[in-house]
Amino acid sequence: MKHFLASLGVVLRKELIDGFRDRRSILSAAVPLAIIPLLLLFSFDALSDELEQARRIKVPVAGAEHAQALIDWLDQQWGVEIEAGISQPLIAVREGEHDFVLVVPEDFGTSFEEARSAELEIVVDSSETGTRLAVSRLRTLIRAYAGQVSDLRLIARGVSPELIRPVTVETIELQSSQERAAVTFMFIPILLLMTAFIGGQQIAIDSTAGERERLSLEPLLLNPVPRLSIIGGKWLAALSFAGASLVMTTIMLMIVLDISPMQRVGIDLDIGLVEFGSMLATVLPLAMFGSALLLSVSTLARSYKEAQTYASFLVLAPMLPMMLSVGSPIEPSQWKFLVPLLGQHILLTDVLEGKNPEPLSLAIASAATVAVAIGFLAVTAHQFRRERIVFGRTS
Amino acid sequence: MIEVHDLRKRFGDVIAVDGISFRAKDGEVTALLGPNGAGKTTTLRAIYSLIKPDGGHVSIDGIDVAANPMAAQRLIGALPEARGAYPRLTAREHVHYFARLQGLSARDTEERCEDLVERLGMGEIADRRTEGFSHGERTKVALARALVHGPRNVLLDEPTSGLDVMSTRAIRALVRHLKSEGKCVLLSSHLMHEVSAICDSIVIVAAGRVVARGTPDDLRATTGCESLEDAFVALTANGGATE
Repeated sequence: MKHFLASLGVVLRKELIDGFRDRRSILSAAVPLAIIPLLLLFSFDALSDELEQARRIKVPVAGAEHAQALIDWLDQQWGVEIEAGISQPLIAVREGEHDFVLVVPEDFGTSFEEARSAELEIVVDSSETGTRLAVSRLRTLIRAYAGQVSDLRLIARGVSPELIRPVTVETIELQSSQERAAVTFMFIPILLLMTAFIGGQQIAIDSTAGERERLSLEPLLLNPVPRLSIIGGKWLAALSFAGASLVMTTIMLMIVLDISPMQRVGIDLDIGLVEFGSMLATVLPLAMFGSALLLSVSTLARSYKEAQTYASFLVLAPMLPMMLSVGSPIEPSQWKFLVPLLGQHILLTDVLEGKNPEPLSLAIASAATVAVAIGFLAVTAHQFRRERIVFGRTS
Repeated sequence: MIEVHDLRKRFGDVIAVDGISFRAKDGEVTALLGPNGAGKTTTLRAIYSLIKPDGGHVSIDGIDVAANPMAAQRLIGALPEARGAYPRLTAREHVHYFARLQGLSARDTEERCEDLVERLGMGEIADRRTEGFSHGERTKVALARALVHGPRNVLLDEPTSGLDVMSTRAIRALVRHLKSEGKCVLLSSHLMHEVSAICDSIVIVAAGRVVARGTPDDLRATTGCESLEDAFVALTANGGATE
């Protein structure tokens, strides 16, 4: 055991030195750091745009002539453009000519004048997110108009409008941006999951497929050292890079989220030190898994290039649970925590939604993921005994 | 001492080693001589236990390689066919790495490393990264890391292949030095003139079998050829039908 650990340490040390001198290793560990501010900038930009868009609406109207006062009032509101003269609203919406149409029925004018509730219709196909925002803005405007009219009617009858408003509520239209925020910040778990894979990728490839391609694997294996401690050292080196990258990425995220003007675009993403801590604890076992997986795949690859190709696919693996959850959210159940990536995905999503992960689930997910990682290492150590692997496919 | 007995190895349909036996004694330089593809490298790989033979067995100083590969590896220093280096490590770091893997202490490592740098004439390149090293410089690095633990048995696979005259001479000097220290040196080559200069004993292999063995003089006598070159050609031309 002492020999095993000593040689593991020797290999680890060498791979770390080698890794630190390799621009590509540093780069792959630093990539997530560099893209965070860009991602955030981009998503905030998109959010601001969307808020702006929601305030600017084009209102197609059918039967505008039946409610000229209302239409004129709408037209005067900021960011509203009236498009009158829609003759067949149902068809226009169904065929996608317009996303929605405000329909003023013929009897609107009469009802209005007789001080009965005058009815408006909005024909809408709300499958488009943008449409919902626009329609909701339109409703708010119409409600405001109705409020003004009712105030005037009450005043005309000598009643204070406040009488019928025992409580007033200021509503700030945020719903859409919060929805959007949840989606936007889904990049945090994905980023962390991918960092767990990318951080040690270069070392994993370079120390296996690269080692063989440079013809240094054969000399290395001539040393009286257990194969498992060679693999273990390489794994720990890759893991160190992945871990360091994860920690730095998390710190970077915290800083960037802290200084970015989230309030301005109307997001209150409440994640702090504790949440980031839970996320790190969740993802670190995954870094063990990712590094082990990359090591074993790179060992099997025929060449450095081939290993890189495999790795570029593997890095996408963290996206899988994401894709699965697009249709319907992944329901947490115990067995899912046993599956590497899936378990972490559920846990991270929980953290982002403000729920603290259950310690038991975290423990199960971590233990299962680490167990799979060790399995990969054992298999790879065995591979290093096969002549085809040691000498390449040519001999 | 290295003893190889009835070693057999096949790769798919190709029989690489077909019953090779020989003994390389301490204080002697033994050559495995044969044309390309004769099974020399496979034999060496079986000796340093990176290849599992299909039959036969190998022992190093009495230790069975198959039963106790790590103990056997401690007794061997090998210059394999693959002489790759880590481009981002210096020559000295290579030697250190292998010394530590062999279990040398930090102080012994330092001492042995200095000794080898001097003996192999690596003073100028010792602290340079190996990226861009010439073939000769890489061979020196490979030799230094193979010998850093002071092994009693030294295996050299085509040690002078691709080297210029000066480097070749340096290698020969090293081999003689190892011999004078009483080590068992086993080298492989496909060049007759190469081995006749430094070897005490020659084992000629062709198509995976031993076709002749003996001192350079013995071989001249058995084949009736005046030059060893001719003897080699005569012995290996028919693919080892006779021994």
